[in-house]
Amino acid sequence: MSKKIERVQAGEKVFDWLLLLLSIGVLIEAYRIDGGLRLNSAGSFPVGLALVMLASSLAILVSHRYKRRDESIKSALQEFQVFLRDHFRPHIVVFSIAAIIYLAAIVWASFYISTFIFLAAMFIYFRQGRVVSSLIITAAAIAVIYVLFTVVFRVYLP
Amino acid sequence: MSDTLSFLLMAWLNPGLLGLTALGVLAGIYIGAIPGLSVTMAVSILISFTFSWHIDHALALMVGIYVGGVYGGSRTAILLNIPGAPSAVTTAFDGYPLAQRGEAGRAIGLSTVMSVIGGLIGVLVLAGTAPYLSGLALQFAPRDYFLIAVLGLLLVSSLSGKSLSRGIFSVALGGIIGLVGMDMVTAQPRLTLGQMELLGGIHYVVVMIGLFGVAEALYQLHNLAKVPVKQKVDKIVPPLNMVLKFLPLSVRTSVIGVIVGALPGTGGDIASLFAYDHAKRSVKNPTRPFGEGAYEGLVAPETANNAAVGGAYVPMLTLGMPGDAVTAVIIGALVIHGLNPGPMLMIETPHIFWFTVGNLALANIFLLVFGLTGIKIFSKIVEVPKAVLIPLILVLCVVGTYSINSNMTEVYWMLGFGILGYWLKVFGFQMGPIILGVILGPLLDESYRQAMSSVGDRGGDFLLALVTNPLSLVLTSVITLVLLSNTPLKGWLSRRFSRS
Repeated sequence: MSKKIERVQAGEKVFDWLLLLLSIGVLIEAYRIDGGLRLNSAGSFPVGLALVMLASSLAILVSHRYKRRDESIKSALQEFQVFLRDHFRPHIVVFSIAAIIYLAAIVWASFYISTFIFLAAMFIYFRQGRVVSSLIITAAAIAVIYVLFTVVFRVYLP
Repeated sequence: MSDTLSFLLMAWLNPGLLGLTALGVLAGIYIGAIPGLSVTMAVSILISFTFSWHIDHALALMVGIYVGGVYGGSRTAILLNIPGAPSAVTTAFDGYPLAQRGEAGRAIGLSTVMSVIGGLIGVLVLAGTAPYLSGLALQFAPRDYFLIAVLGLLLVSSLSGKSLSRGIFSVALGGIIGLVGMDMVTAQPRLTLGQMELLGGIHYVVVMIGLFGVAEALYQLHNLAKVPVKQKVDKIVPPLNMVLKFLPLSVRTSVIGVIVGALPGTGGDIASLFAYDHAKRSVKNPTRPFGEGAYEGLVAPETANNAAVGGAYVPMLTLGMPGDAVTAVIIGALVIHGLNPGPMLMIETPHIFWFTVGNLALANIFLLVFGLTGIKIFSKIVEVPKAVLIPLILVLCVVGTYSINSNMTEVYWMLGFGILGYWLKVFGFQMGPIILGVILGPLLDESYRQAMSSVGDRGGDFLLALVTNPLSLVLTSVITLVLLSNTPLKGWLSRRFSRS
């Protein structure tokens, strides 16, 4: 009887090792809270949760023993290439960078101007250059945001 | 009796109250559905400009938004896999696969009817048992709250993914995020990395928007070219035989929802988890496997989370303890209006109790009307190309996060959680357990420390109390069973029994 082998994704093992490191970091930080080793203190519950994180991340790593890489991946370099191809596609990278610039721009430009530029740029890029319709959609979106958040909900905007 | 009846029908007969309830429900559906807006946030904002209103008018609007919002959260869970509220996390498990199969209209229609059934059962139970349940809930010890929260987190760990260890890691990570900030008992900074800005903690809405909004938007970029599933909105109203088929499950999960909702600090999120787990275990032949678009997996949480609304009002109106985050805000509204939520409310101002009961029932009727008629327009949202939707989701996330505390740092945190959530999602971690960990972590910590204090910080006595008190023993046994059912022991036992 053939048992179905679970496949591990490119980069998954590295990510799970990073989670183990994160757990250790959280445990150290939790231990630094005064009374981390007492049963009833500010630090006792964080230490407990950090230990749970540590134990479960170890269990995740152990589970890799029963998983295999995709057969087409032969080396670590090849796995890295597959990882880059899967998760760093141009439109993901462009959107991520644009999002970071947008959040930074809100502080020194106004919310509406930065949002207009961000939305227009993203719509034009994602919709492959349909400039006029993208600008119309952007203007409509900005109008809806204004009515909904500024007029109706009276929410403070950045 | 006649006084009670007149209080009960007050919202039904007064055009002003009737209109405000209707407006509240309609607004609540969209607030609950728009990523970045939450019912808690909306009700909090409402307090600021309704404190000069008459209490009945303010409560009518808040009740409407609450009922509509709990339901509205499920719409985006079904259509976009972005739960609008924690109580809709489990709705996405089967609701989104149904939408992907092109059955979004039917799913939303069924969830509307079941939400109303759950909501009305919740109201009935609230009216019938509130005075009696208050006596019972008063007997709960902190260790029982601790056990209930542990059970909830354990269930979400085991339910939302294929790997229990990943689920438990997610819950613990969420708990750690929830504990960041100043300790409420000793005023010590915890997990703040020496940053002053973190002393106030990380608001769970920031984490929720990041994990459910930004992470989902980034994840959807993988399928940018994919044409969205055309939603069949022509079959909105579910056939009667379909409703009748799921009615027994609906009634069972309503009872679960009311009971869990009545436990202070729990609310619709845990109620829907319990209900989903109940459906998963009790329904032998679901319409499809759970997690792949089973209607039972949609009916159970949707009925339970709306039934939990009625349940959440029980401790609020009888004990002055919030059943969930929204009722915590409503307690604030009652206090602002000079009322005294708690056991004295029923004695001093009984009309508030009966008015709320009648108003909740009315809100559920409006929910049925708006839920079944507004789907066509609403469903158009998912027909918007992802190229348009994804940048808009990010903008909504920014607005939603900033409106919590008008703090740009929280917006950066939201983006950070979004990026973390994206990678976790890529490698098979679920977002639901993390967010429930964030919400329940502080509650667990508080209950644990109170329970330890009650036994003089003696670990042995604490463990002994878990098995000597009848209620604690029941909860401990259920936790043990859930844990064992996720270990190889379950398979070994079933093999042994099947052989014998």
